[in-house]
Amino acid sequence: MSSAVLSLKNIKKAYVMGETEFWALKGVSFDIHEGEMVALMGPSGSGKSTLMNIIGILDNPTEGDYILRGENVSDLDEFDRAEIRNAYIGFVFQAFHLLPRLNLLENVEVPLTYAGYAPWVRRERAMDMLNRVGLADKWRNLPSQISGGQKQRVAVARALAMNPALLLADEPTGNLDTQTGNEIMGLFHSLNDEGVTVLIVTHEAEIAQQTKRSIRLRDGLLESDRGHEQQRPILHEAVFGGAP
Amino acid sequence: MSDMSKPIPLNTMKTEAPDNAFRFEDEPRSGRLGFLEILKIAWRSIRANMLRSILTALGVIIGVAAVVALVSVGNGVRQNVTNRFSSFGTNLLTIQSGQSGFGGPPGLVRGGATQTLTLADAEALRDLKDTRIEGIAPASQSNGQQVKAGSNNTTATVIGSWPDYEVVQNAEVQAGTYFTTDDVDKRRRVAVIGNDIVTELFPEAEASSVLGQSVKISNVSYDIVGVLKEQATAGFNDPNTNIIIPISTFSQRLERSEYKGEPTVRTITVKVADARDVSAVEADLTTLMANLHEKTSSDDYDFNIRNQASQLESVTAVFSTLTLFLGAIAGISLLVGGIGIMNIMLVSVTERTREIGVRKALGAKPRDILSQFLLEAIVLSCAGGLIGIGIGMVIAYFSTSALSVPFVVSIPSMVLAFAFSAAVGIFFGFYPARRAAKLDPVDSLRYE
Repeated sequence: MSSAVLSLKNIKKAYVMGETEFWALKGVSFDIHEGEMVALMGPSGSGKSTLMNIIGILDNPTEGDYILRGENVSDLDEFDRAEIRNAYIGFVFQAFHLLPRLNLLENVEVPLTYAGYAPWVRRERAMDMLNRVGLADKWRNLPSQISGGQKQRVAVARALAMNPALLLADEPTGNLDTQTGNEIMGLFHSLNDEGVTVLIVTHEAEIAQQTKRSIRLRDGLLESDRGHEQQRPILHEAVFGGAP
Repeated sequence: MSDMSKPIPLNTMKTEAPDNAFRFEDEPRSGRLGFLEILKIAWRSIRANMLRSILTALGVIIGVAAVVALVSVGNGVRQNVTNRFSSFGTNLLTIQSGQSGFGGPPGLVRGGATQTLTLADAEALRDLKDTRIEGIAPASQSNGQQVKAGSNNTTATVIGSWPDYEVVQNAEVQAGTYFTTDDVDKRRRVAVIGNDIVTELFPEAEASSVLGQSVKISNVSYDIVGVLKEQATAGFNDPNTNIIIPISTFSQRLERSEYKGEPTVRTITVKVADARDVSAVEADLTTLMANLHEKTSSDDYDFNIRNQASQLESVTAVFSTLTLFLGAIAGISLLVGGIGIMNIMLVSVTERTREIGVRKALGAKPRDILSQFLLEAIVLSCAGGLIGIGIGMVIAYFSTSALSVPFVVSIPSMVLAFAFSAAVGIFFGFYPARRAAKLDPVDSLRYE
């Protein structure tokens, strides 16, 4: 097996509401390896979103260690988090989240801009990425001028711009019809075939079935972690109890 | 984390590329957003809401325009007044009837004041033979006199004085001479006439050719002995329509009023040779006048002596204060404009919460977001400042020409107004920008 891109070790996250503490994550551990395509599933309230925010380094865990590309990134300030996000994580959102006033090329350039690349480098790289998702000829268009599926392709191009360690997609087909959704899934598959590590957060079982591995959360704990060749039950050593 | 901000090793996408192929990973990256990029982002969002941006900047535009226009007009008026005063000369002392305390311009006689200044006073001053005094000119004046020469007539200000009028009032002749002391003693009917009088009464005649001709004032004929040089309009009369005649002739032929048996004069103007002696001469004249009028206490003085220099000083001080005061009021409107910017920026931050979240997710650091919003506010206020300076100048140009005062371009006031508007942008833009920078990326991504 290839090396772990990211490794979660007993990740816990508590939210303080008034005087009570609510543990959204109660100790989650798993690795994602280079070139894997993983679905993260779970009902609402399972801690799925919280975990996604931690994996995307939008948030720090309360306890536990998050090792990304060999670096412990579990306790960083917002400045360092922004830098790591920029360099290692490519986000794809359910609602696309393209910047409406920028054309497609400029949208793809945004992460490169924050990395501080020279304009011509950004332009060239962004054009390559647009080309990769098949929208190079539309680079001048504004997001409002293209379809939902195309928007998601641009979002994928933007996520790939910095050649991230992990492509993190949050319900990437949630705002699309079935056919367009399948096209986007096809894009993820072909990217994965090219070696891109993909984590898709979804509540749709159909999506999860398409991935080689799916991780299921429930009540802040791992419920199952199924590889395509085997289904192994998770043995919890977590403080807050085992799987149901 | 320093090693993490270096170019990321390429370990996915192992497509074999030729050596000269473009690989963005090999290109240098500064790890920070360039200033031009921030400016571009800020400008785009200003442009996207053009109407709102203009309305937001309007407060600053009006504030700066008001500051620039008011200061410019104020300076113009001040310069105009200064010009008028300096054309009289700054080492003049003017004695008038009545108590002091009224800072009006010399030559302006207050209505109702009893004329207590007499020709005897002027003669007493002359008899001092004070070497510090360059000239003494008593003056009586009659405005709006009809003057005739042949079939032509015009209106003139007739002034009765001594030959010293020439040095005291800087009213030199271009042709001929002034009348003499002898002319004064013998009450001769001779006149020195202003340049415009020549033009009106003797059209197309040379100044020198009118010498020896005569003009009629109140049906009395006067011989023209001199023609005054053309003078800039200064003071409250046009000196080019003046006619100067011996004061003795004036009181005999035109107007005669007496005080204690002596003919009165409106003013006695004394020119001090050296400006440094003005204060000393003023003190001596005060003592002498008090003795002549038998007054012991300064409260009883029936005359007052005005010092041009100190008067000019007090008038310019008044205008400076006024200008400063108006500028301060305009400054307040600039402050209000700043609050307007802050208000809109706060709305804008709320409106663009999701954009902020997306930018943060893509790697924007808090300082990047801070600069973006701060620069937006600064661009708004600076653009407002520049437009305001332009509008202020136009207003100043038209107001000064309407008031017929000089159009003074006050660079310091423009620089100050612009710097102030930039400062307003920074000050009022900082709080909204910091709020944007501090937004939590998770919350702002979820914001609808």
